[in-house]
Amino acid sequence: MGRLFWKFFFVLMLAQVTTVVGVSTAIWLRHRNVAAQAEWAPGHSAARLLETASTTLQRDGEAALRILLEDWSREPLPRVYALDSNGREILGRPVPRHAGGDASMADEAAGPRSVRRVPLADGRTYTLFMDEREAGPPGTPPGRGELRGPGGPDGPRGRTPSIFPIEPIVGGVLASLVVAALLAWYVAKPIRSLRGAFAAAAHGDLDVRIGDGMGRRRDELADLGRDFDRTAAQLKLLMDGQRRLLHDVSHELRSPLARLQAAVGLARQQPGNAEASMDRIERESVRMDKLVDELLALSRMEAGMGAGHEESVDLTELVNDVMRDAAFEVDASSSPMALEADIDALDGVSIKGNAEMLHRALENVVRNAARYTPPGGHVHVVGKHDAVKREIRLTIADEGPGVVVAELESIFEPFYRGTQAQGTRGHGLGLAIARRVVEAHGGSIRASNRASGGLAVEIRLPTA
Amino acid sequence: MTATKILLVDDDVELLDMLKTYLEREGFEVAVATDAEAGVAAALSGSCQLVVLDVMMPRMTGIEALSRIRMASRVPVLMLTAKGDDADRIVGLELGADDYVPKPCTPRELAARVRAILRRTQAAEGSEEGPAAIESGPLKLFPRQRRAEWEGKALDLTSTEFNLLDALARNAGRPVSKDQLSEHALGRPLARFDRSIDVHVSSIRRKLGTLPDGRSWIQTVVRQGYQLVKE
Repeated sequence: MGRLFWKFFFVLMLAQVTTVVGVSTAIWLRHRNVAAQAEWAPGHSAARLLETASTTLQRDGEAALRILLEDWSREPLPRVYALDSNGREILGRPVPRHAGGDASMADEAAGPRSVRRVPLADGRTYTLFMDEREAGPPGTPPGRGELRGPGGPDGPRGRTPSIFPIEPIVGGVLASLVVAALLAWYVAKPIRSLRGAFAAAAHGDLDVRIGDGMGRRRDELADLGRDFDRTAAQLKLLMDGQRRLLHDVSHELRSPLARLQAAVGLARQQPGNAEASMDRIERESVRMDKLVDELLALSRMEAGMGAGHEESVDLTELVNDVMRDAAFEVDASSSPMALEADIDALDGVSIKGNAEMLHRALENVVRNAARYTPPGGHVHVVGKHDAVKREIRLTIADEGPGVVVAELESIFEPFYRGTQAQGTRGHGLGLAIARRVVEAHGGSIRASNRASGGLAVEIRLPTA
Repeated sequence: MTATKILLVDDDVELLDMLKTYLEREGFEVAVATDAEAGVAAALSGSCQLVVLDVMMPRMTGIEALSRIRMASRVPVLMLTAKGDDADRIVGLELGADDYVPKPCTPRELAARVRAILRRTQAAEGSEEGPAAIESGPLKLFPRQRRAEWEGKALDLTSTEFNLLDALARNAGRPVSKDQLSEHALGRPLARFDRSIDVHVSSIRRKLGTLPDGRSWIQTVVRQGYQLVKE
């Protein structure tokens, strides 16, 4: 059990014990007062009532007493009975048996305060007495609700309520103990499992999940557990991606290194022919520089684009720029091909974003298309503007071999090289960078095989 | 004597070109294959004395190519593996590669490894030096023909495995250090953390089976090396 459990436990415990003791004490105090009152108050008032009745009778006569008693009988007061010497009640009410039954019995059974003989001026004598149940004279036997202690009807101390009630308090404290322990456990347990999961994650184990351990629990703690699971899964995905990328990068850097070493070896072996080797060494170092450059671009994209680089990018200008650069490269290469752009629909349309990154993305896709297009083929770029969906669509189509359907998605992953790509010059990063850029601009990119052969890459970007 | 023919299998055309030039200058005859399938076919044609196989190739990997070659041929195979990729290396050695060179490597290093393997596989062949046969228990080695028999039946060993068993049999009953074994079987001193010898020995153990009491014929002697049990 952790500290949290004990803290919860003691606080709850304390609260409940305080309540139990406080309530018990309050009840006890109140009943001690009630009991004290019960000792004298009813007797006192009874004596008062009898006193009043007898005074009225003596001074004002039978008629006045009758009126008084009738008044009283409507009030919630103890009944006062008046019997004449013949045993007749003054209001003709039946006299309760236990109340005395007749004057003589009442005379014997009751003390001077509850029975009163009142001699009248004409010599007759009235006996005034009260219904004992309501008068509550002292020495009343137990069994009357208001005189019981808080321990219950059979509590041995119920008889003597002035002694402090220990058993109910002990019972209450025990119950509090159990309730406090359960509640503390209920709160502390999921927190402990959360803690364990965090510790595991801190040690690099991101496979740990706690959602199952929460069972069907539905509260903030269970939500916290599920949030943790989501976080761990997301982190694992990211870390796996990074690890794979690092692995691929090291592999990718080795190829130019291997060629460098081979070139150096050749130069040593044939010092006379060193010039050719030097050219190779230079070429390889340029390649490595490009690869590192692309890697940096990729990692910048992964880290989230420079948010401060938002600007309005004119699409016509962007596409024309890229096509001009690509045409220049194609002219310089040994395989002539036609680069065509049909982007009239994009006239005057601009999007918000980073012009440099967008240029790079489009350039990568166009270059990729040119790379796989055989000499004499076409690379076709078509731009469309969808004013309703507020997006533009750029389709870059080539006449290359296309891509196996199962790999259409994978070609956008870093260093992925289609099984049909062979001995090509790329690093396998171009399309990955393109996808990152497009997605960072809120767009999407996907590839499909054309019916006429070749690959078509479609870029969708939201317009400003 | 005609030049020794080496087969280079790698998907990096430019690298292949340079290595070919280099090795030809070193006096080898070089054939090249740019993918694993062509490499397997060329290796099985029997025209080459040694195959240099790159492990990292698209489609069929070098490992798969190696297992196909080993199904039908005992031609010495030198693997080019990525540095630090121990899994590929160990799987390759278990599948019967004779040695490996981490890539990138200098062409000089590659040529030296090629020579080391060829020296060991070709030295004994046809030479009249040394004993005609070595016997130790159920094992019979014929170094001149590079042939081995176990309980009268022919043992199928790669040339590195043969060299290892040869070194162990000559010293049967005594431990042979891993360094000695490496020099004898691979033609090079053992590098730190190099598990090549252990992998080769475990392959041989599998082929020899166990003693009646369940122990292996080749015993590990802690900190000293391996020892062939002498009856």
